[in-house]
Formats: sequence, C-alpha cells, structure tokens
Amino acid sequence: MAPKSKVKEGEIWAIGGGKGGTGKTFITSSAGTYLARKGRQVVLVDMDIGGANLHTFFGISRPQKSLTSFFEMGASLGDLVVPTEMPNMSLITGDIHSMASDKITFSQKLKLFRQIMKLNAQTVLVDLGAGSHNNTLDTFLIADKMIVVLVPEVIAIENMYHFIKNSLFRKVKMTLKEYGFKEIVQHIWDRRQSYGIVNLKELIDYLRESFSYIGTILDHELSSFQIHLVLNMVRNNQDVQLGASIKSVMMKYLGIPIHYSGYVEYSDAVWKSVRERKPFMLNYLATGCAKEIEILTENLIKSADIDIPGVA
Amino acid sequence: MPKDDLKKLYDVLELPPDAPLRDVHNSHLRLKKLYSGESIVLEPLGEEFTDKKKKKILEQIEEAYAKILASRAPEASRTEPLFSAEAAEEKLSEPEDPAAVVYSGPRLRKARDAKNVSLNELSKELKLRLELLNNLEAERFETLPEAIYLRAQLRTYAAFLGLPPVKVADDYLRRYNAWKEKTSPPPPEGASRRHRS
Repeated sequence: MAPKSKVKEGEIWAIGGGKGGTGKTFITSSAGTYLARKGRQVVLVDMDIGGANLHTFFGISRPQKSLTSFFEMGASLGDLVVPTEMPNMSLITGDIHSMASDKITFSQKLKLFRQIMKLNAQTVLVDLGAGSHNNTLDTFLIADKMIVVLVPEVIAIENMYHFIKNSLFRKVKMTLKEYGFKEIVQHIWDRRQSYGIVNLKELIDYLRESFSYIGTILDHELSSFQIHLVLNMVRNNQDVQLGASIKSVMMKYLGIPIHYSGYVEYSDAVWKSVRERKPFMLNYLATGCAKEIEILTENLIKSADIDIPGVA
Repeated sequence: MPKDDLKKLYDVLELPPDAPLRDVHNSHLRLKKLYSGESIVLEPLGEEFTDKKKKKILEQIEEAYAKILASRAPEASRTEPLFSAEAAEEKLSEPEDPAAVVYSGPRLRKARDAKNVSLNELSKELKLRLELLNNLEAERFETLPEAIYLRAQLRTYAAFLGLPPVKVADDYLRRYNAWKEKTSPPPPEGASRRHRS
C-alpha cells in the first residue's frame, strides 16, 4: 500500500460502487463541474480500466494523452493532465487501450498512487469504474473520501455491499499486515466456521475481543473508514429513503458509518446525454439536476448527510 | 429517566434526542418496515443478516418507541402524527383504495392493461424476461423463481406501474406460498432460505 503522507493539500475523492451503469462517471463529472464552478482547482482521473469514457463527457473523442502512456511508457501522471473547456477543471484520460487491470504491477500501482497524491489540484476526483478488483479497491482505499454511487435496484445494492465489504476486508488485512500480523485475518476467515463467525463484522469483533492490541489498532485505523453514498436515478420518495435504510443496515451489518450525501432524480435528459455521449456537463444546469448535484457535492465536502423530510 | 438512557433509545430510532415527535413516528415506521424484511436493502444480505438478528432489532425498535412515547406522553397525546413515510410509499398508487385490492396475477395484468403498458415494453423496461412476466400474471407458479427473488421482481413490477410495491409483493406471495404449501411437503428444519428447489 502507498504511504498516506501527502505532499500537497489536495483531497482525493474516489468514486466506485461495484456495479456498472450506476452513473459513476456522471456523478464524477457533475460533482467535479460543481467544484470547478465554485472555484476549486479540480483534476478528474479516469481509472475505469477497460471502460474509460470520462473524456467523452467533455467532448474529447480522440484523446492525445492517456493513462496508457503512464503504464506503457512510464510517462509521469502530471504530464498527462489536459485542460477541459471548463475553467479550473482538467482531466486525465483513462487507459483507452483496455489493458487488463491485473496486468498492472505492484510497483506501477504504488507509483500511480504517489503521483495521484502529488497532482496539482485542490480536489482530485477518481472515477473507479465497475468491479471489485484489488487494484480498484486499493485506489478506493487511498482516497480521503470514499464515495459509492448506487441505483435503487437489488442487484446494484448487492454489488455495492460486495464492494464495500471487500474494501473493508482489504483495509483490515492491509492494516494488520503493516503492524506485523501478516496472515491472521485470512487465516481466521478461512476457518470462520470453526470460530462460529458468519460475517465480516463478527470477524472484526472477534479480532478486537481476542487481541486487545489489535483492537486498539483497528479502532485507530478504521475510524477513517467512512463511506459516502450517492443514490442515482431515483424515481420516487421511496427510492430516496433507501439511502437512510442502507445507512442503518451498514452500521448493523458491517459496523461502519455511511454518510448519505444525496441523490439525483432520474431524468430523460441526463439519460439521453449520457447515451449519446454528449458533452452536456458544461450546460448541466439545463438538465434540471443542478440543485441535487449542488446539495450532494456540498455534503461530500462537509462529510454531511442530506436532510430528507421524514428521515432524521 | 437518566439522560444517557434516553439518548440510547433515540439512537435505536437513529434520531437526535431533540427530534420532533413526527420524526419519532416516522423513524419507527421506517425501521420497522426495514427490519421486517420488507426492504430490498436487506434482501441481498440473505443469511448473513439472520432472522434472529432482525427479530432482536425489531424488539429494540418497539421498546425504544414505546419508552420514548411514554417519556413524551403529554405531547404525544395532542399531536397528530404525519406519516410521511407512509405517504411516500403511496405516492404513486392508484386512486382506488389499494388496501381493498388483492394483487393476484390477473389483477396485476388488469392494472398493466389499464396503464396501456404492453408485456414487451415492461420486459424491456424492467430487464425481466417476457416469459417470466407472462407466467407471473398467469400465476403459473411452478415456473416462477424462489420467493426471495420473486419478491424483488414483484416490487420492480409494481413500482413501475405505480402500484404499492410492498402490498403487491405481499399479496402475490401469499397466493404463491399457499400454492407451494399445497404442492410440496414442508422443507426440513433448518433448510437454507436461499436453497433452490
């Protein structure tokens, strides 16, 4: 894992969530646009390996520079930043040549993380793409704000649980490894039946209770493990309230806090623009979701929860 | 009651101790629904979130709710609760009294016809197989998936047509379960809920 120490004051926001098609790229570019309009220096990084398309949201169809040069030619990340038409906002195009995620070497990964942390920006937004590959999880875990984008569907919820659970499992494993307890987590998990453990929370509780030293480490290291939830394509109040339910369940199921940052209502205008790959972000005010984007991004900045009538 | 004890009760309802009474009612209702297994939020967790655990949480919720109401008795008796959580659920429902309707397969077909939605459109919109939708409306129970999957599909179906999702799923599954009981011997004790027959 990369060291947490930062050279710059900038914040890294990682946007993931497991399932494809939930609107991660849409949320990344919208929140980024809002921040840039607010005057923050923003760099968007497309880490959707195999499905990089963030550039198309800005009307760039044939990017001159992309992460491919980083992985294949050893280019430095800072040299791959290209400006967009939007003031204050630049972009690093993803690996458009579809290199498989597992071909990235460990040292490439560390170098990538180091350089992401050094990018000259106040906020770096990293679009993670779908899936729960270890490289994706590791990128998620280096972020200052871990954001998941969800749509109100069972499969998406299931994938999101999987994604968060795997992130937490990896975090616990890596943390304890750093403290010298190399294989203990996997060891106990593999024999969980004989320990009477059915889920990750019970594993963590077991570790805490059995080894007070580990308990202290986990208390310290997991205190920063907070997830920010954005619901996309909601159609009614019931969908909106799902966020509050997920918050409740995640605390009881994994013992981790979720901030329900906000939601974006389903709109044909957005759906059409995304499908047609229109660079609509520059006039996203016209799509009617500007207010929702503002609320959720402000909540992300403050690590706050959205205020929903009927839900405290 | 000591302040700390009271705070714990509010924690159970996921509220700050100064929450208005309306929020107390709403939170109680919302959490009760959630942990009764009515929500698609719990469904994917299956056996990892045991029934025993749900039951315990429900008991805590009821206890906290009763104690909080008791602690605010004078206020509670004069304030009419606004069940906005309930209202949210009914937002898209039909003008006819949904409580009076039993959502059988044929009744669902009727509702769909009334909205002028074809099975083809529905299949495309919901990304559910045409055959499944057809069998669902025709109540060909033997072709349908296990209840846990069916519930999600029914809810998606209902939500799309603006019917109350929980009631649709409940009504339909009651019929489905009645059929199941008639046709198969009861499952052995301790059989997994996720087990496919």
